[in-house]
Amino acid sequence: MAQKTIEYAVGRTPEMGPDGRPTPSPLEPFDIPEPELDSEHMLINIGPQHPATHGVLRLVCELDGETVLNVTPHIGFLHSSFEKLGEYRTWNQIVPLTDRMDYLAPLIYNCAYVMAVEKLLGIEVTERAKVVRVILMELDRIFGHLLWLGTTAIDVGAFTPFLYTFEDRERIYRLHEAYTGGRITTSATRVGGMMADLPENWIAQLEDFLDSFPRTLAEVHRLLTNNQILIGRTQGIGAISAEDAVNFGFTGPNLRASGVAYDVRKDNPYYDYETYDFEVPIGENGDCYDRYLVRMEEMEQSVAILRQAIARLPEGPINVEDPSVSLPSKTDCMSDMESMIHHFKLITEGIKGPPGDCYFPVEASKGELGMYLVSDGGPKPVRWRVRPPSFVNISVISELARGHLIADLIMINASLDIVLGEIDR
Amino acid sequence: MSDEKKSGLDAVDEGPVPSDGSGPQAAGAPADKNDHPSVAALFERFGDAIRHHEVNAGDQHVVHIDPARNTEILGWLRDDPAHRYDLLADVTAVDYGGGQPLRVVYQLWSIPNRMGLRVKCLLPLDVLEIDSVVPLWNSANWLEREVYDLFGITFRGHPDLRRILMPHDYAEGHPLRKDFPLRGRFSRAEQTRRALNQDVDRFYIPAERALGREPQQVTFPSQTAPGPDEGSEGGA
Amino acid sequence: MGLEGNLPGGGTSAGTGGLFGAGSPTFLTSKVDFLVNWARRNSLWPMPFGTACCAIEMMAAFASDFDLSRFGMERMSFSPRQADVLICAGRVPYKLAPVLRRIWDQMPQPKWCVSMGACASSGGVFDVYSMVQGIDTIVPVDVYVPGCPPRPEGLIYGLMMIQEKIRQESLTEHKALREEDPLQVARPRASDEEVVGLTGPFGNSTRQEKISTGVRVAADQDSEDPIP
Repeated sequence: MAQKTIEYAVGRTPEMGPDGRPTPSPLEPFDIPEPELDSEHMLINIGPQHPATHGVLRLVCELDGETVLNVTPHIGFLHSSFEKLGEYRTWNQIVPLTDRMDYLAPLIYNCAYVMAVEKLLGIEVTERAKVVRVILMELDRIFGHLLWLGTTAIDVGAFTPFLYTFEDRERIYRLHEAYTGGRITTSATRVGGMMADLPENWIAQLEDFLDSFPRTLAEVHRLLTNNQILIGRTQGIGAISAEDAVNFGFTGPNLRASGVAYDVRKDNPYYDYETYDFEVPIGENGDCYDRYLVRMEEMEQSVAILRQAIARLPEGPINVEDPSVSLPSKTDCMSDMESMIHHFKLITEGIKGPPGDCYFPVEASKGELGMYLVSDGGPKPVRWRVRPPSFVNISVISELARGHLIADLIMINASLDIVLGEIDR
Repeated sequence: MSDEKKSGLDAVDEGPVPSDGSGPQAAGAPADKNDHPSVAALFERFGDAIRHHEVNAGDQHVVHIDPARNTEILGWLRDDPAHRYDLLADVTAVDYGGGQPLRVVYQLWSIPNRMGLRVKCLLPLDVLEIDSVVPLWNSANWLEREVYDLFGITFRGHPDLRRILMPHDYAEGHPLRKDFPLRGRFSRAEQTRRALNQDVDRFYIPAERALGREPQQVTFPSQTAPGPDEGSEGGA
Repeated sequence: MGLEGNLPGGGTSAGTGGLFGAGSPTFLTSKVDFLVNWARRNSLWPMPFGTACCAIEMMAAFASDFDLSRFGMERMSFSPRQADVLICAGRVPYKLAPVLRRIWDQMPQPKWCVSMGACASSGGVFDVYSMVQGIDTIVPVDVYVPGCPPRPEGLIYGLMMIQEKIRQESLTEHKALREEDPLQVARPRASDEEVVGLTGPFGNSTRQEKISTGVRVAADQDSEDPIP
């Protein structure tokens, strides 16, 4: 497997760095004896409505002075019961629910869900649909990472990167809108294909974005990667070993920062990801800084994948030619009675799937996103379960934050890249 | 769908029912256990504790095991050098309704061997208890709490088994069970009144209240004394 | 503000008539109204209560492309004590309802509320056991912004409607508009019947009747956990 270990631009010891200047190192506490004080532990409540919790997360911390002894995360403040609602909906009607789950990278969720349904139903989508979905998923990986980058930068006190990243997010919003009509809630996929083919000129707009985006990324790199404040606040903070990270169920960039090269795109490939030439960045120390570097590198790899996907995008139909799955074209519905009835039946009755179950993991921007579907042969799922990557990642926060300062807790929380819509579902 | 069966639109209050006459039991093609190295090894080692083996969705192997021996079998799958399922991706449960047993589903993935396996345990409705796998995988901690919250399955030996998504004084039951109505058991008015009940006990678990001090006395012209500054960082 | 009581024609002393007339707007009060409303509406401090998808669009509205600071709202107030407008962006489950209510109670008068998006306004697609069916059952809402999620322009338009509403306010009716019964703090804003009426099911996933049957209105019998 192609792997890449990140070359550190800054050293970890206060020696001379590669650029000949002394490299900054994290602040060490002063070595003064602990005064004998009659102290008691303190209980601090952060959230659920707090700008630094990236949503409605609530953390109850037990503090000794400023040192975190224990953190109890309380979640469920955004529990919207997606999974229950899915049991009342046909396979295609669930698609609009999926993008409200992870509103930071909605297209990955759209694609992951229909991929699981197609796997269950035994449908093989067309080559064009495969490449289009790869394009959409990689685009939204950048989309999700950009929001993480902007908000994390705010959490360490840098506001400018937020404005830069939102500038580029607006470009992706426009791409979303040009294709799907919605800026966030895209609902672009259907079982057996997409809701429509790519519009004219869309690929050209995407190429425009790909040309300008690396410049933004380089600019943010210049602002943050060697920034002493960021380094001081992230290096050595919230570190977790590779073994622990696997045991705690970390996936995605968080796991790879600890040095485990597990990427669903490489290890359990779907949509010919094994034929794309890209590298999986892995870190060494598993701390916040490595998680930052891994995500920054992932965005560059996504750009590379996007370029390859654009180059290989084949012509041809985007939906499968299967009347039990795909709708007839709108023109046919309006002019042909048979097509009209066909359309009506598919919409009202839904697609019937075989009984059985199916677990389909994809690599989302947050980690391994698994869609688990249970069917009893009807048009609706018996159970639609989402394996939420952020849910498992955030459960480790008390392990990561123990012994650090409360200000570091904010950084650790930011570095995990959570989205509450998916944690609470 | 036959007429006497409730469709999704009519079934909102009672919960959905199986939509097809064939029933949920019909699942999975019978498969050769030698297609998957771990399945063959499981049959060889644990024999009758492996109840059933099937292949779903083309190539996904599912093993039904004896719920009384789940930690033993899963622990072996994790530790045996030939299998090494070190990543517990997911723990969830499935309720088919109609009085059928609940299924606890473990999704395993082996990072070194690049293999996946799904393990299921059937729990009859009158004994909804199973051993926790938190000692094996820490990732099961929250996942099992969620299953407890939404399905009411008790995990023996779990370090901190309490509700996770719903409020911990939630009184309407376990929402993902099929007999739970989509809009809950109480009326919206009652749900709203219960939600706005601002009692400190609702927001802090006993361990936290033992540590915290009494809420500061503030003059507040209401009978309900406000708790510590819940939900308002600015006021803190 | 504390201003109203001292104003001629405003507050409690309005009944006595006096130099500037009683109750009705006069030359002086309308000039003061104009000045106060002008100041208020052009320096609103929004309190962003963002929960889900709408919060991301709200962030987009605050970011460089749409730039809410053009309307005097560059100062996002994460503290409810220093905020004028509560922007409730996103779905609100019952678990979050007391938090929303607490934040609203902590905001000082005068205050306004924008309900951004379908979920905050009506529950949206989430007609389920865990979701508040419209935050107007919990806090009074001034402007509803439709959309799922609304575009940033939609939010800006909603906030401009708040500004328009402020422009038309008068200090003479201020007390009547803003009075709150302190005993009703943290109580449901709407009565039981109103809540049931407002939250009646609609949409495509459920039946179309207003009130679903078979649901217990009272909670006199505590639902026992089906699982011991």
